[in-house]
Amino acid sequence: MALDYRKCAEEIFSHLGGRENVISAAHCATRLRLAIADNGKVDVPALEDTEGVKGVFNSNGQLQLIIGTGTVNKVYEEFLAITGMTAATKEEVKAAAAAKQPLPQKMVKTLGDVFVPILPAIVAAGLMMGLVQALGKVIPSFAGSNWYGFLDMVSSTAFAYLPVLVAISSARVFGGNLFLGGVVGLAMINSSLINAWSVAGMESIPSWQLLFFNVHQVGYQSHVIPVIIAVWLMCWIEKRLHKIVPEIIDLFVTPLVTVLATTFITFTVIGPIFSTAETYILSFAQWLVTVGYGVGALVMGAIYPLTVVCGLHHMYNVIEVGMLSSAEGLNIWMPIASAANFAQCGACLAVAVKTHQMKTRTVAVPSALSASLGITEPAIFGVNFRFMKPFICGMIGGAAGAMFGSIVGLGGSSYGVTGFPGYLIINKPLLYTILLAISGGVAFLLTMVAWKDPEAAEKKQQSKIVMTCEAGQILAPTAGKVVPHTQIPDETFAGGILGQGVGIVPEEDVVVAPFDGVISSTAQTQHAVGITGPGDMEVLIHIGVDTVKMQGDGFQVLVKEGDKVTAGQPLIRFSRKKIQAAGYSDMVVVLLTNCDEYTQFQVLDHTAKA
Amino acid sequence: MKQFTYIVKDPLGIHARPAGQIVKQAKEYPDTLVTITKGEKTVNATHLMKLMSLGVKTGDTIVLTCEGPNEENALEVIGNFLCDNL
Repeated sequence: MALDYRKCAEEIFSHLGGRENVISAAHCATRLRLAIADNGKVDVPALEDTEGVKGVFNSNGQLQLIIGTGTVNKVYEEFLAITGMTAATKEEVKAAAAAKQPLPQKMVKTLGDVFVPILPAIVAAGLMMGLVQALGKVIPSFAGSNWYGFLDMVSSTAFAYLPVLVAISSARVFGGNLFLGGVVGLAMINSSLINAWSVAGMESIPSWQLLFFNVHQVGYQSHVIPVIIAVWLMCWIEKRLHKIVPEIIDLFVTPLVTVLATTFITFTVIGPIFSTAETYILSFAQWLVTVGYGVGALVMGAIYPLTVVCGLHHMYNVIEVGMLSSAEGLNIWMPIASAANFAQCGACLAVAVKTHQMKTRTVAVPSALSASLGITEPAIFGVNFRFMKPFICGMIGGAAGAMFGSIVGLGGSSYGVTGFPGYLIINKPLLYTILLAISGGVAFLLTMVAWKDPEAAEKKQQSKIVMTCEAGQILAPTAGKVVPHTQIPDETFAGGILGQGVGIVPEEDVVVAPFDGVISSTAQTQHAVGITGPGDMEVLIHIGVDTVKMQGDGFQVLVKEGDKVTAGQPLIRFSRKKIQAAGYSDMVVVLLTNCDEYTQFQVLDHTAKA
Repeated sequence: MKQFTYIVKDPLGIHARPAGQIVKQAKEYPDTLVTITKGEKTVNATHLMKLMSLGVKTGDTIVLTCEGPNEENALEVIGNFLCDNL
């Protein structure tokens, strides 16, 4: 019986808690995806009972209803007609879901959105800058050469003008004019301001008196957060102005007022808040390193990367210079920074090893290299901070390394370099090696253990365990809603004649091995495969019901009898479209054919969560 | 030992469903060894995977063999099943 799309859509809508509870709707191949304001108002059990709805679950802040290929689009159209909503793109639904995230998550996501597009600019530059500066230290004659000057200039550009890149990218994220964003970023590091890196040692800082504000004429070099906040503010002002300013004068009034207002507020309010915080953090850091027994170093090693995120690390030169000019003349700050940086390198490297995504790896490898040379921004912003866990693992590794360095009395004879180049100024190279090994190693191992590739985690979730017996576990060979075999629309399967197990409503066109085993049979008609696993478990995977009649059309067996396979290895590719077009159920039947040989056999209940 | 030779007429051969039914019936006679032979290959009829791996198609000749205290009964029932369904 064909599904009544209108009725199905009406019934779905009636369980959603009212029109105002539905933010947006979209659909993919099989699912209706809804962004819901308050999930508590949704009657999930009723939705699951709705005819035409094959499964209901919450994922990534979306309510997803599995409806099926070819059907979902029709139900979706009816749904739009009923609710009076307009078609949302998948992106809009995702954005609405993102808006529902808690604030800290939203902020990290925003930071990621800002940084990902500018990664190409800073990853390569960071690596090159680290190399050039290290070479300059190793070969003093190189440091004075024309090539050094040129290469150093080119590679440091992206970092010296980082606020501009951040500003433009932020303007895109927040939906403002890119060029106005660029102007705000440029204003914050305008060359008529004093460079933030040089201000640290200055006796008096020139300032402007603007209304009641005393504005220091200092730039925001290497700052990130104040820039993002400034541009966010700019976009907010710009959008408001576009609405109220008459169109005829909009072109010059809006940009002018936007930039003026933004920069004024930035230099008078946002900036001072940050520089005050900086001053406090600086004194705190100076005090912290004097705390004995490695405790101060431990804490500083842990929070160091956080200060990099906030763009506060440029002030640390003051501390280092102060230490070198003191009686002992030993820079004990450098081992702490080195441990913290090298730990981020270790964490980033672990991500590179563990990720399944080529894209992540291509960023993580050069970022880790760059971090090993002391330039951690690419590793932190491009990799670790985005995934959060590696960042925290890096903090722990940094703390461990810094504590070690403090206890054994490591120190530098100069300042400005960490990581591998740090060997050039360190007092005890051997112990420094151990410091790097501890910080990098701890961060690497912790990340390897604690961090999971979100993609991989999703995959793992799909291959849930559907059956167990004393011989082992049987994983779901395909993603989709799992039902007990008694609900398979075929009496032979439902009656358990072929064994017991489950049916899966497939959401993908492939079945994979449910365990490590050997292929014991393949069907001529390509729609079924038998596999023998641990403890002689024999599992039959049969795609669809009555699909034997399709004589192999739409199926492709990827293995042959006697093949050894590993869990998760694809066995058969099939076309749900063709099965449905031929008029059969595409349910994937998974049965343990010799289940009566096991006493502890049981089918796990997945109906609750599906 | 009792034997019964049969030419499969079902256009789909012995696929999962009939194989399962044969297995179910063969298991009714635990004291009798029930095998099915196609060409050179003989398999235990209580074993679904092996039965399916014979790949019996329409027009193939198979031999049903029963051996044990209940062989006559088994041959009768399973042989009938073959004639009725395959």
